[in-house]
Parts: sequence; C-alpha cells; structure tokens
Amino acid sequence: MASSTTLLISILLPAVFAVIVFLIPSKLRALRNAFSLIGAAIVLCLGFYLFGVKNAELNIPWLGMDINFDLRLYHLNSLIIMAVSVFLFLITIYSFVKMKEHPRAREYYTYLFLTVAFVNGAVLANNFVLMVFFWESLLVTLYGLIAIGNKEAYKTALKSFILVGFCDFCMILGIGILWYLTGSLNMPLAPLDPSSSGLAAVSCVLMLIGALGKAGVMPFHTWIPDASKDAPVTVMAFIITVIDKMLGIYLFVRISLDFFVIGMNSALSMFLMILGALTIIFALFMTFVQNNLKRMLAYQSIGEVGYMILGIGSATPVGIAGGIFYMLNQTLFKGGLFLSAGSIEHRTGTTDFDKLGGLRNKMPLTMICFVICAVACCGLWPFNGFVSEEMVMHGAKETGYIIFMIAAWIGTALTAASMLKAAHSIFWGKENKELSKIKESELLITLPIIVLALLCIVFGVHNYLPIVMFVEPIFYGYTGFLEHSGFTAHALNFFNPVAITSFVCILLGVIVYLYGWSKNSKNAASSSESVRSFPVLKNIYNLAEAKIFDIYDQGLKFLKVLGYILYYGVDRVIDFMYEKIIAGTVRVVGAILRFAHNGYYANYLAWCIGGLIIIVAVISLLS
Amino acid sequence: MTNGEGELLFVFIVLPLVVAGIMPLIGKLSKKVVPDILTNLTTFFLLAYSIIVGKQIIFSGIYTTKFSWFGEPMNISLTLDGFSLLMLVTISIVSFCVTLFSIDYMEHYGHKANYYSLLLIMIAGMNGLVLSTDLFSIYVFLEVAAIASYGLVAYGLGHNELEASFKYLMLSAVASGFIVLGISIIFACTGSLTFSEVAIGIHLVNAKYLVGFCAALFLMGFGLKAALVPFHAWLPDAHPSAPAPISAMLSGVLIKVSGAYAIIRIFLNVFGLTYALSTVLMYLGLISIFVGAIIAIGQNDMKRMLAYSSISQIGYIFIGIGTGSPLGILGGLFHILNHAVFKSLLFLNSGAIEQATGTRELDKMGGLAKQMPLTATTNAIGSLSVAGIPPFNGFWSKLLIIIALVQTQHYAFAVLAVLGSVITLWYYLIIQRNAFFGKPEEIWKNVKEAPFWMSCATVILALLCIVIGVTFPFVIKTFLVPATDILASGVSYLYNFLGY
Repeated sequence: MASSTTLLISILLPAVFAVIVFLIPSKLRALRNAFSLIGAAIVLCLGFYLFGVKNAELNIPWLGMDINFDLRLYHLNSLIIMAVSVFLFLITIYSFVKMKEHPRAREYYTYLFLTVAFVNGAVLANNFVLMVFFWESLLVTLYGLIAIGNKEAYKTALKSFILVGFCDFCMILGIGILWYLTGSLNMPLAPLDPSSSGLAAVSCVLMLIGALGKAGVMPFHTWIPDASKDAPVTVMAFIITVIDKMLGIYLFVRISLDFFVIGMNSALSMFLMILGALTIIFALFMTFVQNNLKRMLAYQSIGEVGYMILGIGSATPVGIAGGIFYMLNQTLFKGGLFLSAGSIEHRTGTTDFDKLGGLRNKMPLTMICFVICAVACCGLWPFNGFVSEEMVMHGAKETGYIIFMIAAWIGTALTAASMLKAAHSIFWGKENKELSKIKESELLITLPIIVLALLCIVFGVHNYLPIVMFVEPIFYGYTGFLEHSGFTAHALNFFNPVAITSFVCILLGVIVYLYGWSKNSKNAASSSESVRSFPVLKNIYNLAEAKIFDIYDQGLKFLKVLGYILYYGVDRVIDFMYEKIIAGTVRVVGAILRFAHNGYYANYLAWCIGGLIIIVAVISLLS
Repeated sequence: MTNGEGELLFVFIVLPLVVAGIMPLIGKLSKKVVPDILTNLTTFFLLAYSIIVGKQIIFSGIYTTKFSWFGEPMNISLTLDGFSLLMLVTISIVSFCVTLFSIDYMEHYGHKANYYSLLLIMIAGMNGLVLSTDLFSIYVFLEVAAIASYGLVAYGLGHNELEASFKYLMLSAVASGFIVLGISIIFACTGSLTFSEVAIGIHLVNAKYLVGFCAALFLMGFGLKAALVPFHAWLPDAHPSAPAPISAMLSGVLIKVSGAYAIIRIFLNVFGLTYALSTVLMYLGLISIFVGAIIAIGQNDMKRMLAYSSISQIGYIFIGIGTGSPLGILGGLFHILNHAVFKSLLFLNSGAIEQATGTRELDKMGGLAKQMPLTATTNAIGSLSVAGIPPFNGFWSKLLIIIALVQTQHYAFAVLAVLGSVITLWYYLIIQRNAFFGKPEEIWKNVKEAPFWMSCATVILALLCIVIGVTFPFVIKTFLVPATDILASGVSYLYNFLGY
C-alpha cells in the first residue's frame, strides 16, 4: 500500500516544488536554489526508491467511463523515472551557475520541476486518457522552457509547439482508433496485430508518429536545431535530449511490445527501419557541415534517434535491447556534450567553431569530459556507445538486410568526422586572441559533466552492469526474449566482423576529416567544406539550408499559398457579390423605405388600413 | 387544473395598482428616496413572487383564481398557465431592471413619483393582460397598459415627445377600435367572451368568413401593438422619444405582451391556427424582419436603430409561431424571452450613453469604450446576442426557429431568416464600432462610466444573456416547454379548460 501511494507522491512532489519555487520572489535567489536543491534531492531519492520497488499499482476512480486514475509501476518506467531524477539533480546543480543571471530563472525552475512531474505521470499512467493528459501538459512546459531563451525564442517555441503538437494529435487519433478497436482505454493486455486490419495498422502508425515525433524523428525534427540556437543550453541538454528522447522511446517500446505486435521483417518493421536509416543518414550529413557546436549536437541527436528506431524497429530481441540501451547511453553522452557546450558558452559566450580555438589548456576538465563523451558518441570501444551501437547493428543484421547496416556505418563515419571537427576546432586549432584569459568553469558546472563522462566509461567497460540491471528486466514476461538473455555476448566481443567494420568506418571518418582539413588550409572549422561542395551533396545541402525539407516551413508556405488562393478566388468574389448585390440592394431598398417613413399620420394610417384589407383578402382566399 | 386558493394571482395586478395609486401622495412627502425604494421593492417582490408561484405551476399544472364579492362569484377569473408564467417572469425581470435603472437615470427628468406611478400602472396592465381569461379583460388591460405608455412616451414633454406620443395614441386608438369591433362580432356570434366558450362557439357556429374577418381585425389591432409591418409606423417615433427605461419597457415587453401574447393566445388557443392564419403570420413576420433590419442600417440615431431592430426581431417571433410546429412555437417563445432581455439591455445602454454624452447620434460618438468600459462590454454582449452569435441566448432561439422552418419545409423562409440575422449583425456592428470603438473623440475625454444603479441593471441583463445562453436546455425545460405544451395543444387545451 505504501508503495502505491508513493506513485502518487512521485507526481505530486515535483509539482509541489514547482509551486514553491514559483512563489519565491526572484530576488531571493539563495532561497530558491536551496529549495530547488532540496526538491531535486528528494526526487532523486524517490527515483531510486521506486526503482527498487519495481512493481506497484494505484487505481483511483477519476472521470468515470472506464477512465481511472490508474498508475502502474514496472521495470521500464521505474528506469525512466530514476534516470530523469538523476538528470534533474545534475541539471539543477548545473543551473545554479549557468542560469544565475537569467532574468526568467524563476520560471525556468518552475517548468523544470513541472516537467518532471508530468514525465512521471506520463510514464506511470496505465490509462490512455491519463497518459495523454500528462503528455499534453508536457507540451506546455516545453513551450515555456524554449520561450524563456533569447529574444527570438518564442518563434522557435511556437514551431516546436506546432510540430510536437501535430505529432501528439496523431497519437491521440491513434489512441482513439485503438479504443474503437479494443473498446477499452486502459492499457491493453493483449497486443493487437497491426496487419490484422487496416484500422489497426493506421492506429499503430499514428501512435508511432506521436512517439517518434516526440523523440525528434525526420521529418518532425526541424524544431530541434532551431531550439539549440534559441533555447537555454540546459533546456537542450535536459528536456530535449533526455526527456523527449526517453519519453518518445518509452512509448515506442510500449507500442512495439505491449500495444501492437510488430513482427520481424513485417511491413511495419521495414517501414521503421527505413525511417531510422534515412534519419541517420540525413541528420548526420547535416551534422558534419554545422559550424556551431550546439547546432551540430542537435542534428547529431536526431541522427541518434535514427539508431534507436533502427534497433527497436528491427523487432529482434537484440535490436530492441540495443535500442533501449542506446537511448540510455545517448542521454549520458549527449547530455554530457550539451553540458560541455554550455560550459564553453558560459566562459566564452559563443559556441561557433570559427570563434573558438585552443581551449585545451584553459578548460582542461571540460576538454577531457568532452572528448570522453565524443568518443563514446562515435561508438569507439570500450565506451558505452560502442556496446549499444553494436547491439543495434546486430539487430539489423538479424533481419537479413545488410543495407541498414551500411546506413548505420555511414552514420558512424560521419559522427566520427563531425566529433573530430568539433573537438579539433574548439580545443585545439588556432587560439583566438580574445579568449586568452579564459578559465575553467566553476565546479558546479563541471561536476555534472564529469559524472556523465564517468558513467559513459562505466557503462562501456562494465557493460553487463547496465544491461543486466536496466535492459534485460524489461523483457521479463515477454515470450521470445529470454532465450536471448546473453545480450552481453554481442557487445563484449570486439573481434567480430560487425564491430571491426564499425571500427574501420570510424577510421574512414577520421580520414574524411583529415582530408577536408588539409584541403581547406588546415582550418578545422571549415574542414567539412570538401563534403559540403561534393557534386550531388552540394545540391541537397543547399536545399536543406533553404529549409526545403522543413515541413513546418513548407506547411507555412502552403498555408500562405492557400490563403492567397482563397482570398482572391473565393473571398474577393464573394465580397464583390456582397458589395454590389446585397449591400447595394439593401441601400436602395433602405432609401426607399426611409423616404416612405415621412412622418405623416395619414400616410401611416393608410398603410394600416391597406394592410388590413390585404389580410382580410388573403384570409378569405386561403380559408 | 387547480383552483388555487393559496395563490393570490390578483396580487400581480392589485399590488402595482395600489402602489401606483399612493405614489403621487408619497411624492408630495419625499421627492426621490421613498418612491425609489418603494417601486423597486414592488418590482422585486413581483419578480420573486412570480418565480415562487411559477415553481408550483411547473409542478402542479394550471392555477385559476375566481373573484368573488361577498360570496357571490363575479365571473372574473385569472388563470396562470405555462405561457402566462413565461410572460409574467419576462415582465418581472425587465421591470425590475428598469426600475433599478431609473433610480439614477430619472434624476434629471423630475417628478419621479408620477413617473413610477405610470410605470406601475403599465406593469399592472401587462400582468393583468397575461392572466386574463376572456377577450374583454384582454381589451381592458391592453388599454390600461397603453394609456400609461402614452403618458410615459410623452414624459419628456418636448416637441418630439408630444408628437410621437400623439401619433402613437392616434394609431393605437384606431387599433383599439378594430379590436373592439372584432370582439363585438365574436360576442354576437358566440354569445360569450371567455376563451373556452368562444373557442367552442366558433366551431359550432358555421361562419368561416366572419371568423376570418375577426381574425384579420385582431391581427391588425394587435399587430399594430406588436409593431408588425405594415402597422409599425408609430414605433420608430414613440420608442426613441420615451426616456430610456421606458423604451426598454416598451420594446422589451409591452409590444410582446399587448401584441404578440394576445395574438398568440387568441390565434393558437381560441381560433386555432389555420393554414390561412399561419401563412399570414409567417409572411408578416418575414416582411417585418427585412423592413425593420434594412431601415435600421441607415439610421444614425442609436435609439431609432434599436427601435427598428425591435420590429425586425418581432418578425422572428411571428415567423416561429407561424410555423405552428411545437419547435417553432418553442423558438418563438424563447425569442420573446431573449429579446426582452437583450433589447431592454441595449435600450438601457443607449440611455447610459445619452446621459453621459448628451447625444444619440452615432457619428458623433466614438471611442467610448475607454471611458465606459462596463457599458461597452454589456453592449457588446447584447449586440452579439441579438445578432445570434453563440453561445449567447439569441443564437439558440434563432437556431430553434430556423430548424423549425427547415422541419416544416419552409426552406426559403429559413434562408431568409439567416440572411436577416446577418443584416442584424451588420447594424449592431455599426453601433459597436461607431459608439465604443474607433478613434476616441477629444470631446468625450471627460465622459464617465454610468452611475452605480444603472450599471447594476445593465450588468444583470448582460449576465442573463450569458446565463440563458449557456444554460439554455435548463431554461427550455423549466419555462418554455410548459408554455409550448399549452400552445401546441391548440384549441383542445381550452376544451379541457374549465371542465368542458
């Protein structure tokens, strides 16, 4: 009983702290920090406690009509709650320094805690309506968090609101169809086969759009790079790379394990894998040519979503396990990278490659952590990225379609090249004179980065630890997964064809980078120019930079054209008719009638008598 | 049917009459305060009492009170059924708000006691009209209310007021003459004047054309009171000339009680709605909608515009009733209630503006929303209601009427009714734009918001617009369905009445 009320507390507590932080006046910064720290610490303890509890349920009657306040804790969501609580704690510490001077810090902390409350609610919910309720609330905090960035941030916030909102709308539509099919709004126990009926397939695809759109899959990704420019870097690190990815992948896993049966090599699985592969290639090609660290990381995080989709979409046990593990690792190294970017921005005020250079001596801690995270991100043995990437690739290999592996390998090479470019231009390269007095960031900023970097190493070297503790228990209770419990066997073995090819690909990435570097007058920041000006790629890049692939921009253009057509084709025509015919008639008739109302009594009396005669005539005729 | 011993229906007539009688005497002692309090208490009591009595009506059916004089029955009886109750509540709501408004507004007219006295007589007349059960009582109470209203229209004693009042009086006199003629013919045919006996008598006497002639006379006579086109000409002069609360009273309830109520009661319950009557009513309604609306657009005087708008809205009531289908009658009755609320609101607002700025000319106003935010808001609510914008009350009644028109396959009427609604929105936007929005005029810089009691009355009415609009299923269920049942059952209602 006690543990089931804890479920409710895990939602209410962060919300209560959100209110407390909101009520503390902006001037009392120390008090606010203290309360945030206490709140984050309690949430952290609660997260670990819930992870220990593992199984609990809470069911309170709520809206009626089979819609209950139904919470269920099990392994997968307890893992997410714990991970989010860890990140909340790290980000809170980090924000003490980073968000110190921000004029809207009070709102920021409020949204931060609210987001955690909603995330806990969304993953704990065992009823679709309840989940949608929390899920949509997250949309509001996402908007708020992006909007407190710089001056232009509200535009980006709107863009993300509309794109994510569209995906959420698809999800709700999918849930509605699922409700129609199963007749229940509680999370179904018996998964549906999407190939059984057309409606089931539509429902599955719509819900997938909701889940993957939240994670930032192509083509719903375009708000993420914009947000990296406008939103505070902590928001990018916490909300967009950690929470959105976790939630999206959580729902994706639920869809593919609990709600629907997605068989290996089924049409849906193929669709997902193609989507994943395209996202990897496109996003990582975009990554390589970026000249701003935050923007580069944003594109890269989109590419990493591609890996997760590729893994989970392969519908093989090792692929799904790899996808989930990739999600965990991605939050670690991408969170670390974004926080490093924040550290650099904190000291230098910029993250543009061509304005930075030679920071390795000035910010050694940041440099080391950045390099660790970057190497993990590339998937180099023995870091955590390597393990999960190999698992995803093995999953893809089991489906028998080598093409997906090739896509993943191209992605590996591009990741390596872009990380090299970033590290080279920031920490090595030519020193910028203006940055000669730069010092390492405060401990509160470096500490979270160090923690994340250490976790990257631990999860890589002792990869059986997270796999056995975190990933494997997810599959308890699902048939067909337990015989594969030796996931680590794939991961540990460096000497297998897949892993070696990956390694070769990383080397290839290094060579591409070095080639570009030497071609472009040994300037790290412009090393991607060779790729940028490659015949076919050049055109694609130009189109991408003109936002041709941005469905938001295209949607806006379409609406503008539609508005133009409607205005001149329909509106003006009706207006003309209205002006000339209706309004004209009314004017003329009105003038005549006004002329008739001349105020003479006799006149009026005559109307009355005339009217009487006509009425008598009509009644006599009709009766 | 119950003989209501416990319910004193005559209170609705006697109380305002008694207060009206003593009011001039009180006026000698206290110029303002006591008349204000006494009148408002009276109207508030009438409102509360109508609701209390109404609650029992809804649960237990129809009440009849017979007068007796020292034990001898006097053959005068008052009946309260669903339809009467609806009208009674409408009269009470509007008259309460109007007396509330008058506290501040009538300050500069002087002779408040006499004014209240006339107003109460008018209320007594209207209450009596809706409670009476025979044609002659209807005529008597009609005249009581009408004579009080002549005095009230002329209350300002200016040239225009007197002229308007005189014109109103003269045209009304003609109407009264025709009504009396109709009543006499009916009496000659049937030998009785009570509704139930007339209803039976008409069906026994085989005089189709004579009855048709009487119907035409009533239609002309009561139609003039209701300001149906072409009998409307007195209204655009009389309503704007009266003080604003009286305009609200006249447009809000008087034309409906002495015109619409009488026509509906007589045609639906006594004569029975024949095809001929139905057609005539619908066409008169349609013509009224358009003539009223089109002339309203060209007006520059705000109150005159509202007066023409009343003609147009009366048209909606008649077009709904004319369909003869229960839904159409429901819509028509609902529109009576709604129009009473928002038209009195708009007239009261016009009074607030006139008092604040001293003008009624729309092109001289401008940007008053800043100085008079409350009036601007309530006026916007009233305008949107009258134009039929959801979720305000006017939308639902118009919607019901239009649905009824479609159901009875009067498609052309339905389309034209919608078009009329668009024109309505048009001229209300003109008011809103010219008076409240637009460029603030320099001369109105020192204009202040209306005084407390005036604002109080308009806010109550504006809230009613919203509340009725939002809770319309409740309003329809409690007030309108009982009224509609009585009308939709037609003449058979009266066959059962009084044991026939």
